[in-house]
Amino acid sequence: MRPLPDWLNPEPWLNRNFSASDVASALGAESPDESTLAALLSPAAADFLEPMATRAQALTRRHFGRTIQLYVPLYLSSWCSGGCAYCGFAADRRTDRHALDFASVEKELNAIHAMGFEEILLLTGERSSQADLDYLRECVRLAARRFHNVAIEVFPMAETEYRSLTDAGCTSVTLYQETYHPETYDRMHRWGPKKDFVQRLDAPARALAGGLRFAGLGALLGLADPRYDMLALYRHVRHLQKTYWQAGLTVSFPRIRHEAGGFVPPHPVDEKMLAQIIFAFRICLPDVPLVLSTREGAAFRDGMAGIGVNKMSIASKTTVGGYITGGSRAPATTDGEAAVPPQKHESQFDVSDNRGLEEFCAMLRAKQLEPVFKNWDGVYRSSDSFPI
Amino acid sequence: MKHETGNLKLGGHEFKSRLILGTGKFSDTETMIKAIEASGTELVTVALRRFNREKPSDDLCAPLAKLKNIRLMPNTSGAMNAKEAVRAAQLGRELSGSPFVKVEIHPNPHHLMPDAIETYLAAKELAADGFIVLPYIPADPVLAKKLEDVGCAAVMPLGAAIGSGGGLSTVDMIRLIIRDSNIPVIVDAGLRAPSEAARAMEMGCDAVLVNSAIAAARNPVDMARAFALGVETGYAARQAGLMPKSDVAVATSPLTSFLK
Repeated sequence: MRPLPDWLNPEPWLNRNFSASDVASALGAESPDESTLAALLSPAAADFLEPMATRAQALTRRHFGRTIQLYVPLYLSSWCSGGCAYCGFAADRRTDRHALDFASVEKELNAIHAMGFEEILLLTGERSSQADLDYLRECVRLAARRFHNVAIEVFPMAETEYRSLTDAGCTSVTLYQETYHPETYDRMHRWGPKKDFVQRLDAPARALAGGLRFAGLGALLGLADPRYDMLALYRHVRHLQKTYWQAGLTVSFPRIRHEAGGFVPPHPVDEKMLAQIIFAFRICLPDVPLVLSTREGAAFRDGMAGIGVNKMSIASKTTVGGYITGGSRAPATTDGEAAVPPQKHESQFDVSDNRGLEEFCAMLRAKQLEPVFKNWDGVYRSSDSFPI
Repeated sequence: MKHETGNLKLGGHEFKSRLILGTGKFSDTETMIKAIEASGTELVTVALRRFNREKPSDDLCAPLAKLKNIRLMPNTSGAMNAKEAVRAAQLGRELSGSPFVKVEIHPNPHHLMPDAIETYLAAKELAADGFIVLPYIPADPVLAKKLEDVGCAAVMPLGAAIGSGGGLSTVDMIRLIIRDSNIPVIVDAGLRAPSEAARAMEMGCDAVLVNSAIAAARNPVDMARAFALGVETGYAARQAGLMPKSDVAVATSPLTSFLK
């Protein structure tokens, strides 16, 4: 196992004994750094959730106003060559595999666009013959004709491959390291190209070098010591900010819950810890958009909206397609869109916030937060493809 | 002399109000509109990226276009270089019908500091193309003069970082810009309190542009009104002529009264 590079290694900030007064100073830090984050993630800071929330809300409001940016994921394919121990789409899971053909992709994109979204996140598994670069590039091209902001959450690629996606109209890449802890990473990724820690670690940098404007980072909470992973994640963000100074970076906080295959996270993170993590990131990265998906439940998301988080997905399906044919939505929802029973065995993870778009936007408005669908324009793309 | 009449003049258009409003960060369109009305502004800037022709409830342009006596000034926020800003400005003019453009190029999407070089290139091209160009710039007196030379209608130096509430942190540079400028100087970004707007006007700024300080206030509509008063007060004080400052006390019974 190679040691982490110096710019990423969180060890120097781990296992310090932070006191309440250390936390209080961290809360008032003028130039937050690793020590600030370590203090705010420490057990001592668990007693400071309220002042942390207050500070986080003030910073969120200052930098992002009273707005929440919305996006929605579209799973293109559940084929996967990877062996992630925790994932419902892993290659050794028995599940029906699908990849949308291009006609279906267009129908799904049209259905999503009709809902009002202007930012779409296209997802696949690890590189497979059913969903390879050529397939993805065509899907990006189709999406770029309809959406102003096209993001991908797929397999790591070479810089030239990212460049070809930029040229097809792609603007953003989301790529989670899953865990920054090398031993845990090696254990969780049992085979395949994803076993290469460094190849994945450097992928966001290659994507930015390949012309993409935005990169979303994250670690899958539950796999390793969350303090280790969150400090390394922070250092990864700071490193990219210094190296690719024009890049827009975002941070997500996906938390492992009950994935298919009965995976039990070895380091479970409860809601209070998750809240502490998000507040700590807002305080230490005040101008970086923080994202929370429908993995989390409605009550938690409602509480976090506008306080720590300023970008959220909603009305998400985590099955392949699903926007025109129904999907993983539970039948108990009241918005009349749940005619098809949930297909849990075919989804990557269970959606915990099953609300429809209108219901969610009504909640935001009741909290005096404006849902923002379009916060980017295709005119800023370097390619010539614009939404039609 | 820039202060002979009470109206702000920008590219042949006159404005009674010297407060310009930004339209981002509001909790909803209704609050934004009420704040605009309360501020008495006649010129508002709106990001092209927040134009949404396909979803009216998400569109900032249409509700602003309906307001009477308010001119729209599309801005190019989101552009990373001059080429993108020019393209965005052209699209903004086509969609809004307004000849005004706020050139805003901040290639780092986190700290949002303006790119002096790309802003200059875009402003030059857009001014030549007939736009009324108001560039958002670092508080740099040399850049300000160069932008005046290429035909900008005003310059808009920052007081502090966008959304920071840092106030007039660039006050000394802004004084130099005002001293030598033949076009209006508008402080854009960083203001937090109406007193800072008043101070900018007292210093000789021609207008101020405010967004976050209003949108992120507890009561945006009341804060918009307060900024209007601040701008008016500062402008009136400037017109009235502040008494000169002195480092030493001026005795009411001068020591040199014996000198004939």
